[in-house]
Amino acid sequence: MTPNQPHATLFIQCLVDGFYPEVAEAMVKVLRRLGVRLDCPTDQTCCGQPAFNSGYRGEARKAAKRFIALFENSAAIVCPSGSCATMVRRHYPELFESDGPWLERALRVADKTYELSQYLVDVLGVTDVGARFCGRITFHDSCHPLRYLGVREQPRRLIRAVAGAELVEMVDSDRCCGFGGAFSVKYPDISTAMVEYKAQRIIEAGVDAVVGCDMGCLMNIGGYLSRMGADVKVMHLAQLLAETGEG
Amino acid sequence: MAEIACERYKDMAATGIADPVLQRALINLQHRFGRGTAEAYRNLPEGPELRFQAKAIRQHAIDHLDLLLERLADKIEARGGHVFFAEDAEAAVTYCQKVADRRGVKRIVKGKSMVTEEIGLNPALMADGIEVTETDLGEYIVQLAGDHPSHIIAPAIHKTRKEIGRLFADKLGIPYTEDPPTLTRAARKALREKFMAADMGITGCNLACAQTGHITTLSNEGNIRMAATLPKTHIAVMGMERVAARLSDHAILFRLLAMGAAAQQMAGYVSYIGGPAGPDSLDGPEEFHLVILDNGRSRILADPEFREMLQCIRCAACLNVCPVYGEIGGHAYGYPYSGPVGAVVTPLLVGVNRAKDLCQGETLCGACRDACPVAIDIPRMLLALRAKLAVGDDRWNVAPAGPAERAVYRIWSRLIGNRRAYDLCLRAAGAGGRLLAGKDGMLGRLPGPLSGWTRSRNLPSPAAKSFMQRWKEMEGEGGSNHD
Amino acid sequence: MTDPRRTSFLKRVRSALGNPLRDESAISAAFADPRPAATAALAKRMRERPPEERAALLVRLSEAAEPLNIQLVQVPDETAAVEAIARIVANSLPEWGGEKRAAAWDHPLISALNLQDALADLGVPVFVTRPAPDVDRGRVRRAVADAFVGVTSAEWCVAATATLAARNPPGAPRSVSLVPSIHVAVIRAEQVVADFQELYALLNAEMDEEGRGLTDAMTFITGPSKTADIEATLVHGAHGPRELHLIVIHG
Ligand code: SF4
Repeated sequence: MTPNQPHATLFIQCLVDGFYPEVAEAMVKVLRRLGVRLDCPTDQTCCGQPAFNSGYRGEARKAAKRFIALFENSAAIVCPSGSCATMVRRHYPELFESDGPWLERALRVADKTYELSQYLVDVLGVTDVGARFCGRITFHDSCHPLRYLGVREQPRRLIRAVAGAELVEMVDSDRCCGFGGAFSVKYPDISTAMVEYKAQRIIEAGVDAVVGCDMGCLMNIGGYLSRMGADVKVMHLAQLLAETGEG
Repeated sequence: MAEIACERYKDMAATGIADPVLQRALINLQHRFGRGTAEAYRNLPEGPELRFQAKAIRQHAIDHLDLLLERLADKIEARGGHVFFAEDAEAAVTYCQKVADRRGVKRIVKGKSMVTEEIGLNPALMADGIEVTETDLGEYIVQLAGDHPSHIIAPAIHKTRKEIGRLFADKLGIPYTEDPPTLTRAARKALREKFMAADMGITGCNLACAQTGHITTLSNEGNIRMAATLPKTHIAVMGMERVAARLSDHAILFRLLAMGAAAQQMAGYVSYIGGPAGPDSLDGPEEFHLVILDNGRSRILADPEFREMLQCIRCAACLNVCPVYGEIGGHAYGYPYSGPVGAVVTPLLVGVNRAKDLCQGETLCGACRDACPVAIDIPRMLLALRAKLAVGDDRWNVAPAGPAERAVYRIWSRLIGNRRAYDLCLRAAGAGGRLLAGKDGMLGRLPGPLSGWTRSRNLPSPAAKSFMQRWKEMEGEGGSNHD
Repeated sequence: MTDPRRTSFLKRVRSALGNPLRDESAISAAFADPRPAATAALAKRMRERPPEERAALLVRLSEAAEPLNIQLVQVPDETAAVEAIARIVANSLPEWGGEKRAAAWDHPLISALNLQDALADLGVPVFVTRPAPDVDRGRVRRAVADAFVGVTSAEWCVAATATLAARNPPGAPRSVSLVPSIHVAVIRAEQVVADFQELYALLNAEMDEEGRGLTDAMTFITGPSKTADIEATLVHGAHGPRELHLIVIHG
C-alpha cells in the first residue's frame, strides 16, 4: 500500500443496497481498478432523504445523525446516487442550521461526500477507467446531481472515454424523469406522463443503452421501458465503467 | 376572491394529461420559451450572475417594503393620483366598484393582470352591470370562450388555432379561418372599438418604482398602453411586493423579466405612469387610482422561510421549464397562479392543507430555480411546506398529516436506525418479491399503494442478498473497519 | 390627511419585517445608489465615447432592430428624413379605410421637419399635438385615432435592444406612438446609447440635475406591437402599431 493511495468509504444508497447490489459491486470494481482503498460501514441504512422530501424533518435528522456518526472519520465518501449525495452535501447542513455542534459535523461530512462521477473526475482526476463497451449510449441527467452538485460534464467525459462507446445526446436529457421518490407513488398519473416523455426521447435517440447516475431515476425509466418491451439497456454509470468487454 | 379548486389537482392533472391538444401546446410552449430563456441567460454580457444581482435588488426592496410603499404613495398622491391600501381582496374589489360607480362607468377595458384574477375583480364589476373586456389577445380568447387562463403569460396556450377560429366565427361573426394573423386582426378590430368606447381602464403593475413614484406596465401587444391611455379613468392594481426601490433597479430587472417571460431582450412596451394626466396633457386619464393589495402577503413577509417568494416578478419562466406543468397544464393548479410559482404562492394564500397537492405534487427537480430571473429557490419552499403538512404548523394553521402516514415514517425511522431489523425486512421483502416476480425478475401490476406505480411500470424485486451482506462475505466480518 | 387604512397597512408591513428602525439614515439607505462608483464610471464612459464607438453603436442598433421587425432608415440630414417619411406615407394605405391623415408630436426635431408642408403635397393633413390652454382632448383623441401614421421622436434609443425611450410631456402625448397603425420615430444619431444601464444612468442624472424627478409618463418602445397568443405564433400588429419605422439622422 503506497502512502498516497486514495482511500474512500462506500456510501451505498438503500435502493442499491437492497435492489441493485450489482451496481455497488460494479462501483467497487471500478474504484479498485483505479487503486482506491475501500471500506464500507455495513451498519449503514438510509440517508434519510425519503423522510426529508416528505417533510418529516425530525426523522430525517435522526437518520442524518446516524449517518454522520458512521461516516465522519472517512477520508472521502463516495456514493452511486447523485440524489443521496445531494442529501448529505446540501440538506444535512440545512437540517442542523440551528444546532451548532451538529452543524459543524454535518458540514465536515458534507464536504467530503461525492457522487461517483464527481469523485472519479474531480477528485481522482481520471476520465479513462479502462472500460470497454460497444454501442451507442445516451445519458440521462438526474436532477439533483445536475442542479445541486453541478454534475454535467463528469459522467459525459467518463462515457466518452469508454472504448467502443458512442455518446449520443437525447433531446431534453436534463428534464426530470418523473421519479421523485414518494411522488411517483402518490401522483402516478403525472409521474407516468413524465417518464413516458423521457422514454420517448430515449427511444428516439436510437441507442443501445441509457446510462444514469441514480438508480431511482433508472428504476423508473427502466420500469417503463421494460413494460413497453423496449430494447434499450438501462445501466448505472458504474456498471458501464465496470464493463471490460470480456463476457 | 378567485374560485379555489386546488383540491382537484389530481383529477385536473389527469384531465390535462389525457388532452392531446394541450399536450402538444405545452411541448411547443416549453420548447420555445423554456429553451429560449436558458439561452438568453447564457448570452448575457454580464454573465448568468446577473440573476443574483437581480435577486439582491428584489430582496432589498422586500426588506424595505414599508418605506418603499410610503414613498410610492406620497409621490403619486402629490401628482393628484389616488392610492388605496387594500388589506384584502374584498376591500380592493369594493374600492374599484365604488370608483366605477362614482364615475358612471359602463365599459371597462382590462390589461392582463394576475392580481385582479386573484381578487375576483371581473365578476364583481360585471355583477354591477358593467361590461368588462379583457384585451390581451390570450385573455380575450379565454374570456370569449368562458374559460380560465392556463398560463401566466400565455393565457390561451391550451387553445388551438382551430378552436379559436370557430370561437371567433361564432362570437365575432367573421368567416372561419385558422390563420393566426387573420384571427389577430379580427380581435384587433373588435378590441379597438372597445378601447375607444371604454370609460375605464384597469391594469396591473409589473414593478413600481418607489424613488420616482411610478407604476410600470409591460406588454408586447400594446393593449395595456391603450387601457392606461385612452379611458378617462385608470385603475392599477398591484400586489404590495411589486415595487423596486430605485429607478436604476429596473435596468436589470426588466431585461431579466423579458428573458424569463418570453425569451426576449426587452418587452415590446414599458410604460411609466406616475399619476393622472397633467392639466396641459393632450391625452391620458383624468383620474388615476393605484390599489396596493396585501391579501395575505404580509403573512408571507413575516415568515423568513417564505419571504423569498415575494421577490417573484410573475414572469412565468418557471412554468416554461417545469416538467410537471409541462404535463398537466395550468388549470390543474385550481387557482390563477399555476406552475412552480403557484405551487408555493397558492398554498400560502388559500391555505396549506387545502392546497396540499400543490406542495406535494412535484418532483423537486429544481428546473424552476435555474430558470427564475431572480433565482427563487422554489424547491426549498416546497420542502418547507411539506414539513408543515407533515407535523402541522400553528402560524399557518396547518393540520398535521393523519396518524397512518406519521406511523409509516415513525416505523421507517426505527427500522433504519437498526441494521439488523432492517436486514430482516429486506429479506422478507425479497422473499415476497421473488414469489410475485416474473421470469425477468420484475414485478408487474401490484395491488395497494404501489398499484399506481405498477400500472405503467415494472418494479424490480428486491435482491436475494443485500450489498452489505455481499460485502461482509467478500471482506470477512471485519469489512466495516477502517483498516 | 393621514389615511387610517394606509397607516394600519404600513404598520402591518413593518411588523412583518420585525419592526426595523426607520430613522433618516435607514430611509436614505433604502433609496441610495447601491453602486455609485459603477454609475459614475458609466457616465464617464458615455461622455467620453469616441466617434468610432458611436459608429459601432449604430451597427449594434441595426443588428438589434432587424429581428424585431423595425424598419431602420439611416439618413444624412433632415431633408432626407422628410423624404423617407413621405415615402412611407405615400406607399401605405390607412388600415381602417378613410382618408390618409397623419399625427405628429410638437417637438423641436419633428417641427423642424415641417411635415405639414411636406405631406401637403401628397394631400395628407398633419395634426400636430400642440399643447394649449383649454385644449379639447376629445378632438385630440379623434385626430390621433383618425391618423394612420404617427410621427414622434424619442429622447434616447438603446442600441442593444433597439428600444426607443421618451418621457411624455404635454406636447409629446403617448397615443401618437400607439393608436395609429404606423409609427415613425425620428432621432439623431447622438441619441443612441449602448444599453439599459446607460439609459437608466442618464435618466438618473437628469433627475438629479433638474431636481424635478421623473414627473411625466414615460414610454419605452421595442419594435412594433406583437403577440404570440395563438399557438405561440408571432404576429405583428396586435393592438398597437403594425409597423415601426426608425429614422436616424446622421450629422
Ligand atoms: S418564481 Fe421566478 S420564474 Fe416563477 S414567475 Fe416568479 S419570478 Fe418568474
